[in-house]
Amino acid sequence: MDSELRQSPLHDRHVALGAKFAPFGGWTMPLEYAGGGVLREHTAVREAVGLFDVSHLGKVTVTGAGAVAFLNARLSNDLAKVGAGQAQYTLCCDEGGGVVDDLIAYRFADDHVLLIPNAANAAEVVRRLRAGAPDGIVITDEHEAYAVLAVQGPRSAEVLTALGLPAGHPYLTFRTAELGETGLSDAELNDAGPAGVSIVVCRTGYTGEHGYELVVPAGSAGALWDALLRAGEPYGLRPAGLAARDTLRTEMGYPLHGQELSLGITPVQAGLTWAVGWDKPEFWGRDALLAEKATGPRRRLWGLRALDRGIPRPHMPVLAPDSDTVIGEVTSGTFSPTLKVGIALALLDTSAGLGPDAEVVVDIRGRRSRMQVTRPPFVRSSVRT
Amino acid sequence: MQVPTELRYTSEHEWVRPGDGPLRIGITDYAQDALGDIVFVTLPEPGTKVQAGRPLGEVESTKSVSEIYAPVSGTVTARNDALTDNPELINTDPYGEGWLVEIEPSGEVDLDDLLDAPAYEELIEAD
Repeated sequence: MDSELRQSPLHDRHVALGAKFAPFGGWTMPLEYAGGGVLREHTAVREAVGLFDVSHLGKVTVTGAGAVAFLNARLSNDLAKVGAGQAQYTLCCDEGGGVVDDLIAYRFADDHVLLIPNAANAAEVVRRLRAGAPDGIVITDEHEAYAVLAVQGPRSAEVLTALGLPAGHPYLTFRTAELGETGLSDAELNDAGPAGVSIVVCRTGYTGEHGYELVVPAGSAGALWDALLRAGEPYGLRPAGLAARDTLRTEMGYPLHGQELSLGITPVQAGLTWAVGWDKPEFWGRDALLAEKATGPRRRLWGLRALDRGIPRPHMPVLAPDSDTVIGEVTSGTFSPTLKVGIALALLDTSAGLGPDAEVVVDIRGRRSRMQVTRPPFVRSSVRT
Repeated sequence: MQVPTELRYTSEHEWVRPGDGPLRIGITDYAQDALGDIVFVTLPEPGTKVQAGRPLGEVESTKSVSEIYAPVSGTVTARNDALTDNPELINTDPYGEGWLVEIEPSGEVDLDDLLDAPAYEELIEAD
C-alpha cells in the first residue's frame, strides 16, 4: 500500500526532521514534525512563520492561443477579471453544479495559465479539460515536475526578503525569480541544479496569514527548502505539517475538497458564490447553479463554535436545540489552537431557519454538546495585511 | 519509544504501576505519540466504580479522540486534576506528571494478566 503512495521530492528531508507521515490524496506527506506537533506548528504560523511542503498539490499548465478563454468557458470564476501576474480561486464543477475540485489559476498570459488543483483531483481535472479541448490548447499534467513550498505567517515576507526572493506584492499576485540571482548559498545553488532555474512566488496560502506559495522545479526544491529553513531561523520559522495546515484552514472557514466541497455539495451551498462568474455566458454547471441560486440552496455551510468542552468531528449529526431533529452534519471539526475550543464547519438545512448566534447541538458520540452558529472565519484573516 | 520495565501494560495502551493499595494508571508513550497534542481529558470522579476492559474516560487530541479502558476493576480513588489545565502533561511525561487516575482494585488482582514490558514492546512493534 505505502509503496503505491507518491513521495514529495523533499521526503528524505522530512524523514530527517522526524516527521510523522499520513497519506493525502495518493501522496505520503508530513503530518507534523518531531519537536513541533500541531499546536506549536499552528502557533508558529499565527505568530511568526511556518514552512509547509505542499508538493502533493497538482500542477497543470494550459497553454496555446486562447488558453484563458478556453478555461473561462469551463471553470466557475471569471478569469477575465484578473490580469497577467494575478492568481484567482476558482472551481471546476460538473454539469449538475457539484464540485469536481477547487483550484488556484495563475494567469501568466492570454496563452499560458498554471492551475493548482488538489492532489486527489488533479488527474480528473486534466481529464475533463482535455475532453473536447480544441486543437492548439495543450494541457500538461506536471504533478511531479514541480514542488510547492508554502511560507506562511506574519514574518514570511522577512524570510523571503532575507533570501532575495520577491515579497510584499499584493494578495493573489505572483512574481517570478531566478534562483541564481537570489541569496542562496553557493552550496545551495550547487544543489539547486543548473543555473537559470526560475521559481514562482505567489501571495497565496491556506492559513489566513500573510503568506506565499513557491512553485519550484522538483530538482531544486531541496535547495530552496534548506535555504528557507536557514534564512527563517532568526524569525522563528518552523517546518509545519498538514495537521497544522488543517487546523489553520478550519479556523479560517476555508473549504477542503472532500469535506466542504464534493460532487454532492455545490458552491451555492458552500457559500462560494463569490467564486462563480455569474455573468459569464458559459461555464460548467452554469444552468444548475443559476437555478439553485434563484430558488435558494436546501442547505448552507456555517461555522459552529463549542459552548462547552466538546470537539466536533466530521460526519457528526447537528441537532435542533430543543429536539432531536437532525438539521445538518459536521463537515470539518477540530480543536481550535487559537481559541482553545472546539470549532466546526457544518452544512445546515436552510429549512431550519438558523443564522448567526443561534444555538444548536452536536451529537458527540451520544453526548449533546452545545454549539453556537457563526459566520466564519473564527479567527480574523490577515491575508491582505 | 519509552516502555519502563517496572510497569504493566494493556493491549489498549494503558499502563499500570504495580504496588500495594491503589494502582496508578496512565497511557503509554506510544499512545500519546500516536494521538499527537492532547487538548482535553475526561476522567471519572473519585468514588466511581470501574470495570476492567470498560471505558473509564477519554483523551482527545486536535485530530482524534481515544477511549481509556480500565486495566483493572475497582473504585477510582484519585484523579489527576492538573490535566484539566495542562493536558499536554500526558505528551511530555506520560509515565509521570501525565498519570490519569488511581484505582483501588476490588478483590484480588493478578497483574500477571497484563503485559510486561517486553510483551508490550512486541505488541507496538507489530503495530
